[in-house]
Amino acid sequence: MNFKLELKKLRYLTSRNVKIYFKDKMTFFVSLITPIILLLLFILFLKSTYEDNIFNILADYEVDKKIIDAFTGGWLFSSILSVSCITVAFCSGMMVIDKINRTNIDFMVTPIKKSTLKISYVLSNLFSTLIVCFVLLIIGLIYLAIVGFYISFVDILLIIFSIIITSLFGTLLANIIWYFTHSQGVLSGVCTLVSALYGFICGAYMPISSMGTGMQSFVSFLPGTYATVLFRHSFLNGSLKEMSKSIPAEIVDGIASGFDVKMSFFGNDVSLLALILVITLSTILLLGIYLLLSNVKLRKRIRVKNKNK
Amino acid sequence: MNNIIEIKNLIKYFGDVHAVDDISFSVQEGELFAFLGLNGAGKSTTINVLVGVEKRDSGDCLVNGISIDNISKILPTIGIVFQFSMLDNKLTVYDNIRYRAMLYGLNKDEFKENLNFLIEKMDLKDILKKQLGKLSGGQKRKVDIVRALIHNPKILILDEPTTGLDPRTRKTVWNLINELRSTKGLTVLLTTHYMEEASIADNVVIIDSGKIVAEGSPITLKNKFANDYLKIYKYDKSLEEIVKNIDIPFKINKEYLEIKFKSTQDAKNFLVKYNALIQDLEIVKGSMDDVFLAVTGKNLKENI
Repeated sequence: MNFKLELKKLRYLTSRNVKIYFKDKMTFFVSLITPIILLLLFILFLKSTYEDNIFNILADYEVDKKIIDAFTGGWLFSSILSVSCITVAFCSGMMVIDKINRTNIDFMVTPIKKSTLKISYVLSNLFSTLIVCFVLLIIGLIYLAIVGFYISFVDILLIIFSIIITSLFGTLLANIIWYFTHSQGVLSGVCTLVSALYGFICGAYMPISSMGTGMQSFVSFLPGTYATVLFRHSFLNGSLKEMSKSIPAEIVDGIASGFDVKMSFFGNDVSLLALILVITLSTILLLGIYLLLSNVKLRKRIRVKNKNK
Repeated sequence: MNNIIEIKNLIKYFGDVHAVDDISFSVQEGELFAFLGLNGAGKSTTINVLVGVEKRDSGDCLVNGISIDNISKILPTIGIVFQFSMLDNKLTVYDNIRYRAMLYGLNKDEFKENLNFLIEKMDLKDILKKQLGKLSGGQKRKVDIVRALIHNPKILILDEPTTGLDPRTRKTVWNLINELRSTKGLTVLLTTHYMEEASIADNVVIIDSGKIVAEGSPITLKNKFANDYLKIYKYDKSLEEIVKNIDIPFKINKEYLEIKFKSTQDAKNFLVKYNALIQDLEIVKGSMDDVFLAVTGKNLKENI
């Protein structure tokens, strides 16, 4: 009975947090800055630049424009989703906002378990991110259906998995940082910094393969890079397969490497399974750190309580 | 009647600041209890410890006989209105109240029944779907009070609840509180620096620099610490000479002669003695302001 009641409280708290995020137009807008910038860059010049690149590579071959459109469109939406999973997660958290507005005090005088409140912050953070990302996915799929659709059912499942695991990764990372934050300044700073920088680091604005060697080595240590490549793979695999029907495999392979559909770790090719494992294990590691932090805080509280007795 | 709240030797320091310095008092079930003091006297800290927002350094607080160490058992019986609203400005009034109500395990019917009763009394029906952030200060305060009462608490804690409210809103708030006291036996613990609110309380504790300096019913406190005044409107002019010659404080105003007495008995004795010289008079009991000034040496009105 108590468990059922606690679940009900969790449901209402989570729903409250999600609702506030979507009602706060400013926060909502900030969290979508990167996808908006990407979309603008794409419309303004990225699309034509990439198209020119591909057409140059494939100058000697006959390639349907539809495949190229599908490829560049897939590249755009894999970029948008790989950054949104992180930036929305960082900007949609309610934990710090509640601390700033002192709403956390109101919850302290309400009969809810601290663990329920904490779980609600993580869940709502995750749900808000997932809602935004799935809406973006639907928009992306509609766009691709119009310009050229080569994504298989398995690839769609892989995209869904990538959204869920990357959003969870971003949510846990954000919540670990929010643990140590009480100020509006830090919240806005981190949110803006992540929104602005993450697009570059994860290779959303420009392919990782076009970065310098040092930068390439650095980003190959970041789990987010593996998530981005996973998105690239899921979105572009179908178009590349379609290209390979009329183009030699080594050229398609070159395009795949050039546009981050494949990545290497110090010269070794990273398989699809390895991509999945790196992002999944990193997420599990973050979950462990988050639980450890919660436990340390709880123990500290119990010690203070015992001291008071 | 039972003691529903008991504070025993409570101490809470913030570094060198002795916010609450060994205070003890109890609140009886169903009474209106006022906690009077200047800003920074320790009122809010005491309340925060009582509801588990602050940890105490020593002592104990019991609610219905349960120590605040078991705060989760106490919280369902308490409704609290803080000095500042802690609700969500981005949500509507309805959503704010609903989300909080559900955290007390209310079912939908209970919620609807309580909500309808409270919004009717607080005159909030028309703004239920409005965003909280767009309401006036008075409307927000009323929403805070509905939020505090939505789960039918046994104790209502009001931390400076009517600060900055217009007289009409203040009246609406007090009408509801009084109705709940008489129909449901609601206990009210109030911190305030409003004299009118303190003087309608059943019992008052005056706190200064973290220590209790006086406690009792308003009338007991007035009798003990405040003076009675005699305002004499029509009198024989010789009375002015008499008061000048006997050593008691007095003021001659345009319309009346005001004489201050140490006790009611002194006033009575004076009246009996000079009855023939007095035609029209008024006996005024000392106010809570006088009590406050007498026990703290500070003027409440000047310090708020």
